[in-house]
Parts: sequence; structure tokens; C-alpha cells
Amino acid sequence: MDATVIGAWVATGLTLFIFSFLYKDNPLFKLAENLYVGVSVGYTIVKTYDTVILHLIWKPIVEHQEWTLLIPVGIGLLMLTRYVPKAAWLSRYAFAFIVGVGAGLAIPRTVSSFILKQIEDTVRPLVMLVPGDGASFSWNLLNPASSVNVIIVLIGVSSVLFYFFFSVEHSGPGKTVARTGVLFLMIAFGAAFGYTVMARMSLLIGRLTDLIEYSDPSYGRPTLWLALVTVGTLIALSLWRRSDPPSSS
Amino acid sequence: MSFAERMLNIDRRIIFAVIGLCTLLPLLYPVGLPIKISQEVRGVYDHIESLPERSVLLLSLDFDPASKPELYPQAVAILRHAFKKNLRVVAMTLWVSGTGMADELLTKVAAESGKQRGTDYIFLGWSPGGTAVIINMGQDLYNAFPSDYGGKPTKGQPVLEGVNSLKDVTYAVSLGAGNPGVEAWYVFGKDKYKFELGGGCTGVIAPGLYPLLRSGQINGLIGGLRGAAEYESLIGQKGRAVAGMDAQSATHVAIIVLVALCNVFYFMLRRQAHRQSVQS
Repeated sequence: MDATVIGAWVATGLTLFIFSFLYKDNPLFKLAENLYVGVSVGYTIVKTYDTVILHLIWKPIVEHQEWTLLIPVGIGLLMLTRYVPKAAWLSRYAFAFIVGVGAGLAIPRTVSSFILKQIEDTVRPLVMLVPGDGASFSWNLLNPASSVNVIIVLIGVSSVLFYFFFSVEHSGPGKTVARTGVLFLMIAFGAAFGYTVMARMSLLIGRLTDLIEYSDPSYGRPTLWLALVTVGTLIALSLWRRSDPPSSS
Repeated sequence: MSFAERMLNIDRRIIFAVIGLCTLLPLLYPVGLPIKISQEVRGVYDHIESLPERSVLLLSLDFDPASKPELYPQAVAILRHAFKKNLRVVAMTLWVSGTGMADELLTKVAAESGKQRGTDYIFLGWSPGGTAVIINMGQDLYNAFPSDYGGKPTKGQPVLEGVNSLKDVTYAVSLGAGNPGVEAWYVFGKDKYKFELGGGCTGVIAPGLYPLLRSGQINGLIGGLRGAAEYESLIGQKGRAVAGMDAQSATHVAIIVLVALCNVFYFMLRRQAHRQSVQS
């Protein structure tokens, strides 16, 4: 049998088993869930072994005599001393190296990219100075750099920041500003939730597209047969549980 | 129990069935709703369109099969565009679990475009380290990837002629489903080695990447299946993403209607409770 056909049957079966959770938790769902975790971990281990141990360590050292690679290998091996209580202190050297390099690389770059660049973009002049035309005010809402959008950003950022000043009582005019901040936060959360819904629906569309494709006779109609198997199993399980008297403790 | 109470306590499986039908029916009977091209998707398209032939496009496929429905169509559309423009494609992944899928995708699109591995495109595969790989590539690409996915030495392959590090990359696009992804490519790649960067992402992380787009840190963003559909429309090769847009719209309408109905029933119950408290 063609490997594509086998793949189609496996993919269809596992998809339907996972979908069966929407009805209720059942052994078919658990089978698919455990298989998914097992296969992904197994794949990761094999790929990591092949790429790291064979291609990045073993071959360069043995075939090309790149002895300097023994230094990172040694540092890496120090981590494994965690499993030997008497030698566990050695792992601190490896962790110190990793934390030091990681922090040294990440902190300046992150501050530059996410804090300084974003502040730079937020702090914009309300009125644009166009060479030759002097000061101008753009009303175009579709242009992110327009003056109206700059004002909206100013109100939004200030009010949201004010909302998070918990040392100041939100009363009087402060209450209005804090409420404006909450309004902006709600809009941001709404946009994020909308995108999340869209993403989840896209995943459903992807799975259903595959199920439709695999209902084709060229694959042996796995969607139809396996849907019958899944529904049949759920009915059988339900009947079996009903006939099985609850154990008294 | 009143009608409003019954509706607010409806079995969730009925809602699943409604959403399932709203997704399935448009997939079986497509309507072909129009797709409006957004400025952020056009940013990536226009930049690739402006590149001269044989420019180097670095495509980082930073996703795994779990995000395939959204990012796979994006990758297919970008690759088709790049091959049509006769660009040199250097593909790679920072996600180990997506390596096999990325290779299959690249091989498939290259075959349909008649492109040769090693001459027109290369798949570097995966290398451990996440963000460290990006930094390593910025210093020496051959040190980060001594051999390609097939085990062939990267040095000397015609597709990489004149490319020694990320500084020699004309345009990079990261299709990311999380971390490391678009943000990592900006922080440790573009910001340090100064190449132009575009992004593609799942719908879940898109709102978090819009600030990068607005500040010009990335020059375009393809968000989710909708973004993929827009890109497919731009290159004139409609595929899976466009086919899914009718279903996407139908489910969105269903959700809006459900949310609105739920609120109507909620206010009906509240008014009912208020009336009862006034009477008693």
C-alpha cells in the first residue's frame, strides 16, 4: 500500500479521535493525545541526536580533527554532573557560563529593540514639519504616522500608564483618566482575543480541509470509515458504562 | 425555566456543532467572498517584488505541524513568489519539530517551479541554540551550518555564492509561530546585522507584533490564514488559504451572532429579575 494512503488513514483517524473530545473525554482521545506527545518528543530526540551529536560534534572532531569543539562539549557535559550529588557543584560553572552569555547577549539587544525603539516610535511630534510646507496636520486615520493617530496614541499610552499608578487614588479627574485607560486596554484585549479566535478557527479549517480531502475514493475514503468507527466506539463505550454498575466505596 | 435561561444554559456541544457546520459547509460549497489586501501584507509582497533577480531571500520557517494550517500556506505563497522572481532562496528553521515539514514544503514548491537544489535554493535545516544560531549566522553562516539538510557541505554551493553571513542577505522573512520567531530575528538579526526583515505569524501572536510593524522594525506582516489568503491573491495563485476564507468569515459571523444573542438573553433575564423584585 502507498505510504501516502497509510498517512492519510493515520492522520484522519487521529484527527477524528482528537475531535471526539468535543463530545466528551474518552479513551480514543487519550490514545491520540499520548501518541501526539510521544511522536513529537521522539522526533525531537532523534533530530537533536542526529544534528548535534553526529553532525556538530562527532564528525567534526573525528573526521576533521576540530579539537577546539571539546571546550563547549566539556562545558555541556558539566551540566550532567547534576546527576552525581558529590560532583553537582561542577554544573555551576556550566550554568554560570550559559547565564552570563545569555544575559550579556539578550539584555542590551532587548532593551534596544523593545524599549528604546518603541519609545522612539511612541514619542512623535503632534504636528509634522514638512520641508518647504512648514507645519502640517494630517487627518488621515489610515496612515499610522498621521497626527490624529499620534494624538490617539498619546491619550492611550498616558491613560493606560496612569491606570497602573496604584499609589494614586483613582478619584475625581483621575478616575476619568483611569477609565479611559481601561477602555484602551479593553480594546487591546478585544483585538488580541479576536485574533486568537481567528487562529483557532484557522486550525479547525485546516483539519476539516484535510478530512474533506481524505474522503476521496483514491485514499479509500478514510474519513467516512473512521468517522463511523469513532462514533461507533463512543456509542459502545457509553452503553458499556451504562451497563457497568457504579462501584460503592 | 424561561426561554432565556434555557438558552444561557445551552449544551456547549450544540455550539460546537454550529461552529463545525459553519466551517464545513463553506468548505464544501465555497462562495468566493472578496479578499481585501491589507497594507502590512502588501509590505512583504512589494519588497520581494522590488528585489532584483538572484537576490538572496532568507526564509526562516520557524513553526511546527501544530501551526501548519496558518503558516504553511504563507510559506508556499512566499516561495512561489520568490521562485517566480528568480531569487536565491536560503531556507532554514529554528524549530526542530518543523524540520521535516519545512524540507517537504520547500522541495514541493521548488519542484513545481522547476528550481534546482543547491543552485536556486538550499535548505540549511535546523541547528541548536535558537537565538544563538542567528548571532552565529551573523558572524559566519558556514560556521552555523557547515552542511545543509541533506548533509552536503554548504561551502561551495552556487546558491550561496557571495553569501558569508547575514550581512549578505538581501531580505529575510521569518514565519514564526512563537519564540524563537519574528521577534528573535529582529532582536538578534536585523537590529545587529542591518538587513531588511519581514514577518509572518499565527493569528495568536499577530497583535504582539503590530508594534514592530508600526515602528518600522519589520517592513511587513502576514498575519494568520487571512494574511496567507491575501498573499495568495497578490501573487495570483489562489490556494488553501483563499479556500478557507469563506469558512473563516462564516465562523466569525456565527460567533458574533452567538455573542449578541447571549447578551440579549442576559439582559432579558436581568430585566425579568428586576421586575420580580419590584413586584415582591
